[in-house]
Amino acid sequence: MSDQKLYSKPILFTLVATVTILVGSIVTMAYPVFRNDMNQKVPGLRPLPALELAGRDVYQRESCNACHTQTVRPLRSEVVRYKGDHAEVPAARYSLAGEFAYDHPFLWGSKRTGPDLAFEGWVKPSREWQAAHLRDPRKLVPRSNMPAYAFLADAKLDGESVAAHMRALRVVGVPYTDADVAGAPAAVAGKTELDALVAYTVSLGKAVDRSRKPGRIDLAEANPAAGNAEEIQRGHRLFEDNGCTACHGDEAEGIEGVAPSLVDDVFLEVKGDMPDAAYQAIILFGSDAKRALGRAGRPDGGMPPAELSDDDAWAVVAWLRSHAAHGAAEHPAEHK
Amino acid sequence: MNEYRYDHQTVQGFILSAIFWGVVGIVVGLLISVQLWAPGANFAPYLTYGRLRTVHTNGLAFGLGVGAIFGLSYYIVMRLTRRPLLFPKLARAQLWLFNAGIALAAISLLMGQTQSLEYAELEWPLDIAIVVLWVMFAVNVIGTIVKRREEQMYVSLWYVLATVVAVAVLYLVNNLSVPAGLTKSYHLFAGANSANVEWWYGHNAVGFVFTTPILAMFYYFLPKSTGLPIFSHRLSIVAFWSLVFAYLWTGAHHLVYTPLPDWLQTLAIVFTIFLIAPSWGSVVNGYYTVGQDWSKMRSTYLTKFFVLGITFYGLQTVQGPTQALRVVSQLIHFTDWVPGHVHMGTMGWVTMVTTASIYYVIPKIHGTEIHSERIANVHFWLVLVGQLLFSITMWITGIRQGWMWKATDASGKLLYPNFVDTVVDNYPMWQARTLAGVVFTVGMLFFVYNVIMTIRKGRALEAQAVARSAPAAAPAA
Repeated sequence: MSDQKLYSKPILFTLVATVTILVGSIVTMAYPVFRNDMNQKVPGLRPLPALELAGRDVYQRESCNACHTQTVRPLRSEVVRYKGDHAEVPAARYSLAGEFAYDHPFLWGSKRTGPDLAFEGWVKPSREWQAAHLRDPRKLVPRSNMPAYAFLADAKLDGESVAAHMRALRVVGVPYTDADVAGAPAAVAGKTELDALVAYTVSLGKAVDRSRKPGRIDLAEANPAAGNAEEIQRGHRLFEDNGCTACHGDEAEGIEGVAPSLVDDVFLEVKGDMPDAAYQAIILFGSDAKRALGRAGRPDGGMPPAELSDDDAWAVVAWLRSHAAHGAAEHPAEHK
Repeated sequence: MNEYRYDHQTVQGFILSAIFWGVVGIVVGLLISVQLWAPGANFAPYLTYGRLRTVHTNGLAFGLGVGAIFGLSYYIVMRLTRRPLLFPKLARAQLWLFNAGIALAAISLLMGQTQSLEYAELEWPLDIAIVVLWVMFAVNVIGTIVKRREEQMYVSLWYVLATVVAVAVLYLVNNLSVPAGLTKSYHLFAGANSANVEWWYGHNAVGFVFTTPILAMFYYFLPKSTGLPIFSHRLSIVAFWSLVFAYLWTGAHHLVYTPLPDWLQTLAIVFTIFLIAPSWGSVVNGYYTVGQDWSKMRSTYLTKFFVLGITFYGLQTVQGPTQALRVVSQLIHFTDWVPGHVHMGTMGWVTMVTTASIYYVIPKIHGTEIHSERIANVHFWLVLVGQLLFSITMWITGIRQGWMWKATDASGKLLYPNFVDTVVDNYPMWQARTLAGVVFTVGMLFFVYNVIMTIRKGRALEAQAVARSAPAAAPAA
């Protein structure tokens, strides 16, 4: 078809232009809707309770997202800034896609005139502080430029509309039960929009249990991935992809003066191995887990917590075990 | 000429409506710029920063931008097809629905009715009204082009047609939601998908509202007002197809370092870098067109609007791709740099080309000349200085704030752990921005005055013509 023809046939031209526009749209917008990596859900994620949902509606109505983002990027300075009370959050993290599986719409925002709120429930968990700050921000932060939202305290919530909102959310896939919907009016009875917004704010970041402490290590816990060939292979990949090799060597054999071997029978510089659960704890919590395990190892620091799920960490341990056994079979002399 | 009289009134109606909503949007913009450094300027609940910001963006994108696009596209379509609109009454109805829709939109946003999707804030009943408006527009544009009296479609018509289909697809998909009452709905998509669909829409709203229809104006009104033919037809073809192909891949560059999968971010970044090529295709075409006779910069007052407009388009389309790079994004994302970038596009490129096109059209449809070239020149310089002052202050603010967020001492501790310290530091810059906004606004008021005076002059001429023909007709009868 010659150029001339296309530019003298408006309907044909419009069709060709439409197809041209649809190619990128399909690949980058429509196709991802059906992909697993776009539809993750963190374990134990639950829809917002009635009061928190009402608070999210207020958050949307006042366009809080015009000034506050809700996504902590995987940048060191950002993770440090928004980690909250470090004692409570041993594995300081960034936002995960799976935390937002019930967010219709997403509220990540695009501008930080105020701070990010993704982990606000950890950073400022006090309801009293949040309420006082919303009423009059400058009383608590003298030079803040945030508008005062005292008027929210005068508006009572309407339980029926909260229930209606839950029903609409159920249509788009948020798993509210009949009991949730029926209980909504009672749950918000007598509460104000301010109560709701505060409840929502302090719930932020709580979708993922960031409070896991190494103190809870159960050494008797069995490794669900042990001996599973697929998991072992996955563990090997995770070991390579998460930078473990940088310190522990390509084959986990250790690097002199940097980090110990993970396939010998010395654990945290003490002869004698420990159960899989101990390895998993060290992977998840890094050096913070040492004391909990009762072995000091090197004096301080050293290993950072890995950004891995429980199951991922189990898979890595399963690979380490299988790899160690393999090595022992090949070189029996070194492993008497 | 009389064959076009009714349609020209519709065109002028869209232009005047666009100007009205433009003034509203700019004044709201000034108010929110003050609220950033003077929180006492918030008047709860209706006039708080959060709610007003959406009035500002929607008022200017849909009120000023789309209003001008409707009017000027109709004008371009009529000229390039050598015929009046196919459905003149439909266009007039569209004009009334447009104004009613924008008025209701402004009220609903002040009430806090928002989908919380940037540039798609309006709730579902208004979305339906906008879809109806767009269908009216599409039917008239496509119908008139099909029934044209000129064999070939000129490049401006390609851009108008691409705008018609792209905006339809983008708007329909991103506004898919489930109503939870008359004024509330929830996005069909959740989390990462909600973000990805929204920014596919959001970035292409920039592409197909602030780029392609403005290019349609540029390709038509630049040759018309200078008398110089477009430098390269072949370059227009290559630039057009590669632009409308590549734009749709780039939305995720708004989501760099968010929980969106890396592959999607990287793909968007790659296509964003590629977009420099088609964008600069038009920039080069524009420069070489004027390059055939640079003396037009002095002799024809509209030339400099188009040249500066395309220059800001060129700068915009290099700055944008730069921002998409991870290494740049990590510093400037979420800071004032980004509004600085957006305002160079809107206050530089879009405003320059749109106001120049209006300066061309209004005298033409009244068979007269512009009221005052001198006022147009004052308008030009004020708008230019206001916009540069605005963007440059925002870029400086953005880099400073991005750096303050990142700054750590040798032990890895944040140098500015209190967020508010990094905000307070912006206040002087934000005051400078308000000043820049005032300069820009004064420039735009000169423009409004000039347009109104030209229309009055045109009406007076028409009245004279009627008066002259009346006594002449009497003896004959």
